[in-house]
Amino acid sequence: MTSPLVEIRGLEKRFDLSGSLLEQITFKGGRFQRKQEAVHAINGVDLQVQRGEALCVVGESGCGKSTVARTVMGLLSPSAGEVHYDGKRIDNLKGRDVLPYRRKMQMIFQNPYASLNPRMTIQQTLEEPIQFHRPELSRDEVRSKVHEVMESVGIDPDWGSRFGHEFSGGQRQRIAIARALAVDPEFIVADEPISALDVSIQAQVLNLLMEAQETRNLTYLFITHDLAVVEHFGTRVAVMYLGRVCELADTKTLFAEPRHPYTQALLSAIPKLEDDRPNYIRLQGEVPTPVNLPSGCVFHGRCPYANDRCRQQIPQLIATDSGTQVACHAVEEGRL
Amino acid sequence: MKNDTPLLEVKNLDVRFAVRGGDLTALRGISFSLDKGERLGLVGESGAGKSVAAFSILNLIARPGYIAGGQILLEGKDLAAMSERELRKIRGNRIAMIFQDPMMTLNPVLTIGTQMVEAIKAHRRISTKAARDIALDKLRKVQIPSPEKRLDQYPHELSGGMRQRVIIAIALLLDPEIIVADEPTTALDVTIQAEIMALLLDLCEQENVALMLITHDLGVVSQVTQRMLVMYSGRIIEQGPTREIINDAQHPYTQGLINALPQMGEPGARLFQIPGSMPSLKNVPTGCPFHPRCDFATDQCRQAMPDYVRSGNVDVACYEVSNLIEQEKRMQEAGS
Repeated sequence: MTSPLVEIRGLEKRFDLSGSLLEQITFKGGRFQRKQEAVHAINGVDLQVQRGEALCVVGESGCGKSTVARTVMGLLSPSAGEVHYDGKRIDNLKGRDVLPYRRKMQMIFQNPYASLNPRMTIQQTLEEPIQFHRPELSRDEVRSKVHEVMESVGIDPDWGSRFGHEFSGGQRQRIAIARALAVDPEFIVADEPISALDVSIQAQVLNLLMEAQETRNLTYLFITHDLAVVEHFGTRVAVMYLGRVCELADTKTLFAEPRHPYTQALLSAIPKLEDDRPNYIRLQGEVPTPVNLPSGCVFHGRCPYANDRCRQQIPQLIATDSGTQVACHAVEEGRL
Repeated sequence: MKNDTPLLEVKNLDVRFAVRGGDLTALRGISFSLDKGERLGLVGESGAGKSVAAFSILNLIARPGYIAGGQILLEGKDLAAMSERELRKIRGNRIAMIFQDPMMTLNPVLTIGTQMVEAIKAHRRISTKAARDIALDKLRKVQIPSPEKRLDQYPHELSGGMRQRVIIAIALLLDPEIIVADEPTTALDVTIQAEIMALLLDLCEQENVALMLITHDLGVVSQVTQRMLVMYSGRIIEQGPTREIINDAQHPYTQGLINALPQMGEPGARLFQIPGSMPSLKNVPTGCPFHPRCDFATDQCRQAMPDYVRSGNVDVACYEVSNLIEQEKRMQEAGS
C-alpha cells in the first residue's frame, strides 16, 4: 500500500467551557472548588486518506465530523494527536511554513451565502487566492487562470464583475468550488457542500465535484450527514458517533453489510422511495452530551447489544473478514 | 373512497405579494382537496410556493401578501372570506400547524405546560387543572419520557427531537381534523427524523386526522403520504396517488427530481441533472414556467400554460404528456 496523502493520528479536540480561572472557582459547602468543563468534540480519531479517493465522514449533528475537517485544515489546532500531509507533520507548523500546504489543501464550506465575501466581486474573490499563493504570476496570467476555473465550474467568465448576492445558491457554491480549485490543490476538504442546496441543484454540484476529481486528480475528505450522497460519491466511509469512528469501510461493503449497531440504525433511517411506511431500527434515548462522555463504548447507552464490557472498556477499530473496521465489542466477540 | 364533499377543498387559489413595481404572483390557480384522515404530500424546491400554500390554508398570509382569488373551503365554508374572529376559532382548533423549526414556535420564556394550557384555554372554557390533564395526555401520546416533568420545563431544556414531539403534542391538543406540517423534520438528524415521521403517521392514523405534509424530501413523501402534489414556480404541475407518481412520474420536472436523487444512479456515475434553476417570482417565464429547463419544450410550451390532463389517476400540466395521450388515442381509433 502506498503512503496515504493525509493521515490523522490519535486526534483529540476539546473545547473549553469553563472560561477563565475566576469563572472556574465556585464556593460550595464551605470550600472553594475549581471546576473545569470541556466539550469533547473528538476523542481519538485515526484516519488515512489515500491519494485519489473520496473519504466520506458521516454522522449526526454533534458527532465531531466538522471538527475533524477543520482540524485537518489547520483552522483548529488539535488538543492531542497529529495531522500528517504527504508524510510531513503539519499541525504544529507556524507562519510561512504552513503556506505551501495551504495551497495544496483547500476547503469548501457548507453555506455559500456565508463563505463568499459580499463586498468583493467574483473576479476579486477568485483572484485573491491566486495572487496570494502564486505572487510570481503576472496580472494577465492570473486573469486567464480565473477565466479557466470559472469555465470549468460552469460559471460564465463574463460575470466576473458581479457580486455574490447576484447569484443563486447553486451558482454561489460553484463559485466557492472555483475558489478552491483556483490554486490547483491536491486535496479538498468539503464540509457539507450540498446540504444547503435544493435537490435538482445538489445533483449539479455533486456532478461538478466528481468531474473535478477526475480531471484534476483530486483527493477528497467529504463531510456529510446525507448517506445517499455518500453511497454515490464515496470511495470509503467513516461513520462517527460522539467524537469517535465506529466503523470504517469501503462504501459498497458498508452499505451492503453494515456491522456496527449504530451504522445499522443510521442506514435503516434513510427514507427510501420504495418504502410506503417508515421502516427503521429504533434506538433508545438520545445522543449523550459530549461534556460528560459515557464510560466505555460511547454508544453503549443506546445499544441493544451492550453488556458490562461495553460499559467499561473503550472498543478499538478492529478489521473484520470483509475488510470493514469496526469498533464494537459485540462484533469482535461474534455476538453480532 | 372519496366522499361527496371533501374535508378541505382549495379552488383556484391565487396568492400575490404587493411589492414596489407591481404584484408578484406566488400561487397561481392552485386546486386540490383533502379528505378526512387522508395524508397529502406537497413537494417542491425552495421558491416553488409550498410554504405559501400551507400558510394560505389557514389564511395566514401576512401583508404584503394577499389572497387574490379562489376559495379555501373547509366543509363548504370559505376560509378566504372569513373574518379574523371566525378564523381564530378554526386555527389551532380544527386545523393545526407544525412548523419547521421547533425553537421558533415555542416561546423560550414560558414552560411547556403554560404554553399548552394557554392554547387549550383559548378555545375551551375549562379549568387549568383539566387543561393540564389534557396536555399531559397528549405528551404521553407523543411518547415523551417522563411527561409530568416536561410540563414544568422550558423549551431550551429539551433536545431538538423532543421539542418537535412537544410541537406535535401541541398540534394535537384540541383534536384537530387537519394537521398542516411544514417541513417538520428538516432541522433534525436522520434517525430522529425517522422517529418523528413514524410517530406523526401513527397518530394521524389512530386519531383519523388528515395530514398535509410539506417537504422537499421525496423519500419522506413516499413513506408517509397517500397522494402528492408537485409544485413548480407557484403552480401545481402534477398531482395524484403517491405510489403512481413515484413509480412513473409524468411531468418532466418530477421525473428530473426523482432521477436527480443519488440513490437513483449507479454509484460513481454522473447524476441526472436538470439544467438551470427555478425562476424567481420577478421573472417567471411565459407559458409553462418549466420550459427553459425542459428537454421537450416546444413553441407551444413557450406561449401558454398547459391545462391539466389525466394520465392514469394522475393530473399533469404538460403539453408533451397531453400530446402523447392524444397520439395514443388516435392510434387506438385508427386501429379499431
